[in-house]
Amino acid sequence: MKARNLALVMKKDLRGLSKERTIVLAILLQLFVAMFSSFLMVGLTSMYDPGALSQFSRVRYGIAYAGEVSPLEDLLREDRQFRVYRMDLSQAVAALGERKLAAVIYVPDTDPGGGDPVKITMYTLQNDIQAAVVEVKLKEVLLQYEKDLRALRIERLDILPVQVNFPADTRTSDFYEFIYGLLIPLLLFMPAIISAALIIDLITEEYQHHTLETLLSTPMTMTEVVWGKILACLILVPVQAGTWLVLLTANRIPIQNIPQILIQVISFSLVLILIGAITALYYRERTAAQFIFSTAIVVLMLFVLAFPDNPLNLIALLATGVAGMEQWIILGGVSLLCLGLGAATHWFAKRIASQGLSG
Amino acid sequence: MAPLMQVLSQVSTIARWEIRRSFGVMGKNVLPVAVLLFILLVAVTGFTADKGLHLQNGMYRLGTDNPAVAEIFGSDPRFVIYLGDASALNAGRDSLDVVISGGEVHARDSDRGRAALTALSRDYQNYRDSVYSREQDLFAAYPLWIDLVPVKSELDFAETQSGQKLSIAPATLRFPVPEGPVQAIPTPDAGVAFTTEELRAGLSEVQGQESQIARYTELLGTESPFGSFKIPSQLSPPLPFDSIILIFLFIFPLYFTSQFYMMSIMQERLERRGEVLLSTPAGPSAVIAGKALPYFAGMILISAGIALWVQAPLLILVPLFPVILFFLASALLIGMVSRSFKELSFISIFFSTVATTYLFFPSIFANVHVISLVSPLTLIVLTLEGEAYTLSQYLFSTSLFYLTSAVLFYVGVMNFREERLFSLSGLVSRIREFVSSSLSYRHPYLSLFAFNALTVPFVFMAQMMLLVLFFNLPMPLSLILLLISAAFVEEIAKSVAITTLLLDSPLKFPWWKVVACSAVTAAAFLFAEKLLLLITLTQITESVFGSILFLSLGALTLPFLLHFAGVLITASFVRWKGGKGYLPGILLATLVHCLYNAYFILGWLT
Repeated sequence: MKARNLALVMKKDLRGLSKERTIVLAILLQLFVAMFSSFLMVGLTSMYDPGALSQFSRVRYGIAYAGEVSPLEDLLREDRQFRVYRMDLSQAVAALGERKLAAVIYVPDTDPGGGDPVKITMYTLQNDIQAAVVEVKLKEVLLQYEKDLRALRIERLDILPVQVNFPADTRTSDFYEFIYGLLIPLLLFMPAIISAALIIDLITEEYQHHTLETLLSTPMTMTEVVWGKILACLILVPVQAGTWLVLLTANRIPIQNIPQILIQVISFSLVLILIGAITALYYRERTAAQFIFSTAIVVLMLFVLAFPDNPLNLIALLATGVAGMEQWIILGGVSLLCLGLGAATHWFAKRIASQGLSG
Repeated sequence: MAPLMQVLSQVSTIARWEIRRSFGVMGKNVLPVAVLLFILLVAVTGFTADKGLHLQNGMYRLGTDNPAVAEIFGSDPRFVIYLGDASALNAGRDSLDVVISGGEVHARDSDRGRAALTALSRDYQNYRDSVYSREQDLFAAYPLWIDLVPVKSELDFAETQSGQKLSIAPATLRFPVPEGPVQAIPTPDAGVAFTTEELRAGLSEVQGQESQIARYTELLGTESPFGSFKIPSQLSPPLPFDSIILIFLFIFPLYFTSQFYMMSIMQERLERRGEVLLSTPAGPSAVIAGKALPYFAGMILISAGIALWVQAPLLILVPLFPVILFFLASALLIGMVSRSFKELSFISIFFSTVATTYLFFPSIFANVHVISLVSPLTLIVLTLEGEAYTLSQYLFSTSLFYLTSAVLFYVGVMNFREERLFSLSGLVSRIREFVSSSLSYRHPYLSLFAFNALTVPFVFMAQMMLLVLFFNLPMPLSLILLLISAAFVEEIAKSVAITTLLLDSPLKFPWWKVVACSAVTAAAFLFAEKLLLLITLTQITESVFGSILFLSLGALTLPFLLHFAGVLITASFVRWKGGKGYLPGILLATLVHCLYNAYFILGWLT
């Protein structure tokens, strides 16, 4: 294998890509996914979190209280988010239907400390996003009431849970796990998938457009063509992944261990690219190769994800800065796998060359 | 009858060829491997479902002095747990995210510390629930139960159009008194309709599910196994978890099959192989239909098979049908436009991601908001949940799919000709070619009208997508983003046809003709918009979002002037500066459009 020929094949394919400019679509796609998933998270949270929306936090929702007197009524009256009206049930439900109330609560005459459960009936508007918001707000009060009732009945509990006290005032952090544990691993995994799909296209295209003969009539060998293409696909991986890391950092999401992450991403991308190359060399036809490859990848990914310290898990750990020695063990394993697959690809390409193109 | 029979026989001949061809390709080598992989897939899915997905293993470090506490959290793989006495914990403080000593929880003041605390408190909640559901006296552990009764709002939602505010937050402090008739509501029964053991079994059943979802958000909960009868912690809007997984099962095979069709179309273009097909007496529509038929039948069969397998009613094929058509129509065009395999891959991956988002995301809200009906998949969720939907809901969520598929197939048929199939120009210019061959230069006004009327379903689709995307954001921000992006999409759609005409033959279009063409475009757009609204009106116009997207039905003059002004601005820039004028033209038109919406609909700037 000559380095010059490798570089030639690589340059030819990369130039083809940049000329078509469809790689832009791939990048747009990744942006789209990132934007969408963040929208989903941020949006959902701010929708239900009263603090996030200052304009809604001052709104007091009208709640009708019907039925018997109970401590729940006091709990509702203490909460500044509600304005409680004592009403007749039929009147209240009619007012709810006219959107003059946010919810109606009916409390029966059940002994709070007795043996029967307290069964509250709650009327809300059907299929309405604001009704969902009110339900979430009422949930807090009802949870408190559940706690009070439970305290009244505590004598009757036969197993007591181990008591652990959490600090009273805590800012919860919903995004951290989503960003580091899901978004970043998936984003960094996408370049691998894209490159692996690309190698199949690059190889089958030479077969199906009958351009391979032309290529091989030059001093270039089959193995050089295949490895040149593999390199072209591989080189795109750190470029895309690196762009992501820069973008995330610019977005004030600090990422630790960037070099190690890139090494991991490149190593497992190479595994996928090599599997793609072998599939493409075997089938020489895009439909079959892509179909078999994508099914195989789904199987492989699902299997790998069932184990701790899989590459995606590892990226999460590296990005948060808690990865230990295991990263090097995994890297070693993946590198060995690459060596094996690389040897197989090389041998396969050589065999094809020796059999001639007709086979 | 004879010509129809002839066409049918042509279609069936081509369908038979297609089957033989695809089996020739898939042949001996692929099928055994595919079967093997499929078996592996089933096995691995079971294995992974059993083991769980390990994405966040070992993210947090927890230190504790109590072995009992260590045992509680030991089952959560996210925590690496260190057990030691107080001094050891103190020494290792810097590397620990959370410390539990003497029953008190201390978290480090960092993002990771807070995230660990959140995760920990959810775990603790689950642990307590699991203890409680084993209590002898279940009603001592769960003393409070809530029966949710939905009430239908009787206000006419079309009222928003006349500017009435629809909010359940009260505008006045007056005591709420119903104005309409009051129906007597029977006093609810205080008794519980389930036995204690039923409740106990149901409670422990949902606990496992809950923790998986709660990792990412606390806001969507699980469904109560007792329907509307819930404990307080189940009051979050439920995520139809099982149904959504089932949907993936249905959609996934559709992607694969449409890929095959896409590739089959592309294959005809390789080395002009399709010339054989084009030289047969069968016209392009027969060729396209014949090639699509096997894949269409395959998709229906696969979906029916899956439905039988999961014991879902076959009725779910009804909302799936337009989705299948849409996939095939898009596959046809993607196969016809792309120049190379790489391009085919990129475009099809892009398309399938966007389509999945459009189809999939709204169905998450199936139980929460009417917006979810944008996607036909919501109808599938409803069917799976055993709920019925009305004909108007069906029309609302599927009409766009039917219409866009029809248009895409039409464009495909019109362009299924030698000079288009075997040309190798770039993506944008190919699309322009496609547009330009769909327009007739002998009847520019007529074709402008038809083209623009037919783009409206696509515009609606794009705007629905934007709506779904933005409706989550806090209120003023979501409105502004929607305002700008919806106007932008609309202006681009209106400009496509007229710009193509102007760029193809600028000399044929003196200024008076530019004005006339803009008027025709605006009229077509308005006409199609109103027509489509008649079908879909009741579902979406109820919200303030709806009124931005779809100008009010009543007045016609102002919306016409707006559409006209928008097209005219873009067209004039293009006529004046050529291709370079397009971008500034579009931006200016969007600005005008936004200002109009802000002024007339939202009443800002006054």
